[in-house]
Amino acid sequence: MTTSEHALASPSTAPLRIVGDVTVGFPASRTGYGQATYGNTQPQTERATWIAVWADGGVTAYAGKVEYGQNIRTGLAIEVADELRVGLDDVEVVLGDTDRVPWDMGTFGSQSTARVGWQLRKAAATAREAIMALASDRLDLPVSDLEASAGEVRPKADPSRGISYADLLAGQSIEREIAERPTVFGPSEFTLMGRAQRQRVDALDRVTGRAVYSQDVLPQGVLYASILRPPAYGARPTRIDLSAAERMPGVVRVVDEGDLIAVLGESDEAAALGARAAVIDWQLREGQPSRFDMPALLVASGVDGYAVQEAGDLDEGFRAASSVIESTYYIPYIAPAPMEPRAAVAVWEGDRLTVWAGTQRPFGIRQELAAAFGIEESRVRVIAPEIGGGFGAKSPYGLAIEAARLAKVAGQSVRVAFTRVEETMWSNFRPAAIVRIKSGFDAQGRITAWQSDAYHSGERVMIGRRGADTPYDVPHVRSLVYRSDSPLPSGSYRSLGAAVNHFAREAHMDEIAEAAGLDPVELRLRNLSHPRFRRVLETAASDFGWSGSRLGEGRGAGIALGIDVGSYVATAVELSVTGRDVRVHRVQASLDCGLVVNPEGALNQMEGSIVMGLGGTLFEASDFEDGRLLNAGFARYRVPRIVDTPRIDVRFVGDDTDPSTGAGEPGLVPLSAAVTGAVWGATGVRHRELPVTRHL
Amino acid sequence: MAITLNVNGARREAAHGERNLLSFLRFDLGLTGTKYGCGEGLCGACTVLVDGQALRSCMTTVGAVAGGEVTTIEGLSPGTSVEDLHPVQRAFVEEQAMQCGYCIPGFIMGAVGLLNRRPDASAGEIREALAEHMCRCGTYQRIAAAVERAASGGGAS
Ligand code: FES
Ligand code: FES
Repeated sequence: MTTSEHALASPSTAPLRIVGDVTVGFPASRTGYGQATYGNTQPQTERATWIAVWADGGVTAYAGKVEYGQNIRTGLAIEVADELRVGLDDVEVVLGDTDRVPWDMGTFGSQSTARVGWQLRKAAATAREAIMALASDRLDLPVSDLEASAGEVRPKADPSRGISYADLLAGQSIEREIAERPTVFGPSEFTLMGRAQRQRVDALDRVTGRAVYSQDVLPQGVLYASILRPPAYGARPTRIDLSAAERMPGVVRVVDEGDLIAVLGESDEAAALGARAAVIDWQLREGQPSRFDMPALLVASGVDGYAVQEAGDLDEGFRAASSVIESTYYIPYIAPAPMEPRAAVAVWEGDRLTVWAGTQRPFGIRQELAAAFGIEESRVRVIAPEIGGGFGAKSPYGLAIEAARLAKVAGQSVRVAFTRVEETMWSNFRPAAIVRIKSGFDAQGRITAWQSDAYHSGERVMIGRRGADTPYDVPHVRSLVYRSDSPLPSGSYRSLGAAVNHFAREAHMDEIAEAAGLDPVELRLRNLSHPRFRRVLETAASDFGWSGSRLGEGRGAGIALGIDVGSYVATAVELSVTGRDVRVHRVQASLDCGLVVNPEGALNQMEGSIVMGLGGTLFEASDFEDGRLLNAGFARYRVPRIVDTPRIDVRFVGDDTDPSTGAGEPGLVPLSAAVTGAVWGATGVRHRELPVTRHL
Repeated sequence: MAITLNVNGARREAAHGERNLLSFLRFDLGLTGTKYGCGEGLCGACTVLVDGQALRSCMTTVGAVAGGEVTTIEGLSPGTSVEDLHPVQRAFVEEQAMQCGYCIPGFIMGAVGLLNRRPDASAGEIREALAEHMCRCGTYQRIAAAVERAASGGGAS
């Protein structure tokens, strides 16, 4: 994003500043998901400036979130502009720079609009009230006789006597605390929120190549690092000889700190050639599990079975059933594979450290850097520029510390950048999982008992628990989630484990429908009383023109529902299967995410999450053996392409009066089961293992 | 041996002909609008035009294109406002065909290359031509719509 003078100026010089608490940047309570997942990053100061209104009437909004494709810059600008009654072009949003924005836990869990958007709306409304008060004095009219519009305050009785914000703020220096309950506008008064916008606020930078991503940060005189990383997980160097590397042209120095071996060059080329001249013998760690060991390993190593949902008495539920079925679902690891591999640049000025890193949690990385070098957090600045995709994976960002360590040794700024293969191998994968479901139901297809045991790989238990509860009306239910060993580094991924848990549950609902001789939509409705779930399902089915799973001639339809980050979603899919080829023709989704601030942005997110979901459902699986990753590059890891993309239609069915919930992740959760349901409709074969095309 | 080539209408010098074109553009000239995505010719993020034809810059050297005219995303239009964008760029803005945006310069250059060859490319031809590009954010439906819009609106230049 091209930054203006305002964005670079200190907000303390603005005539009107709105300050407030920073802890809204928590995605959940201090003991919740964010805390469990990312440790104890804490704000250094409790308050910060959220909005500055400048002498020329321009507005800057500050948020600790980062932009990695969710288009929050536009969404937040819309909220601020609408509440402040200024033009969208008058608002600039500053994100992700720890020296300039309110502390924030990190950009994940679709919290940006829900929490920070709301905070900024309240801040903007507070600013409007402060400006109205100035106008009231100036015009000698009560505030109730005034209205704000297009950057002016006008007497309702005589709009021609409007005074501009710039005029009202001339010579002022006002600081206001965000009001507890400012008068925010209701849906009927919105001028920007919920309306289609002509374009994103950062569109021009993105189509001209001016947007700066972490790969593009290249300060004068920066050294390029090539880090010699192990060829396999767990491999250790037994002999390191960097003498030839050191003599290569353009190599400035070599670094061997045991856990960090690097060649620093004047150019990327010099560093890469130098690294090639390095001689390292690696000792591999023997006896590591392979991809084929995963299903058994997940179950055998599962510990800490946690009851995500428990009610009634399972024995009683199964006794009341006329049929009982049991199935197991397996989902392998998949790679987030954002288009931009990570990169970081570190610059030391004395004991002050600045690091550019495309991370989803700049404040967390700041804390890690401060701890690594034993300095105060106030001495560290982390700047997250534009991020070329993250999908949850770019929260950990070890490159930031590597770059800072190397820059310290070199006494010069250093850039560390992942290659594609490094990005895949040294990032983290969506956990592999196995889910066993046993269900009992009566002759009418009403579910009497539901027993689910899910085993997700990895230490971070919140990943596997997300979405593991059933929304259906089941009197006797127990859903346990276990934590299992993870041979690969596993971590966050769009919707965490929710897509995995939803796949198992919704695929199982299809099996109940088949066993009970009912249509999949009818079966679901018979077991579903929650009105928001019913509405998304009924809307998706009718928009799609649902007429059953089997469409004949190798064609099938599938449908599934779900909930993620507080948003209700249902999706129907039509596809055909020819040999080992699955062609998805169309996807119809309905989403209830409450108030939709930026419909085009939410739509874009839904479309994207559906395409991403198709990848994991149809093609993607990360293969490994003896600690080696076998398909790290795109040559062997198939992701969806434009020719794999179906027609996608989305309808928003939420109420404007419900608070905004996330739109970036829910699209993923019903998709896999909708696809496998459609594959069953087309072929008569149930797929309980993903990705589908490997099992055709 | 130093070698000269034309980039966005200006003569530029590279230290030697074996220099990777993508690295040369990004690191030596600072033209960072051309992106690195895979370095293996598989994602299209690094696409530039050479004599109007789309080319993966990560897969070629400066020497191999020295006789031609290289155009990067920065050289496609002045880009100071939506009005003075290249028609393909403008179509991407109008369709909001971008999420993180990292793949977008590559897609735009690939689409311009296609429309230079086939100004009235059909929807099917557009998808075929862009199948070598990746957008992990899954913006494909909008990208296809944008290029179709530019094609019917005379996207070639
Ligand atoms: S970077 Fe050249 S094709 Fe991917
Ligand atoms: S917009 Fe993110 S990769 Fe295409």
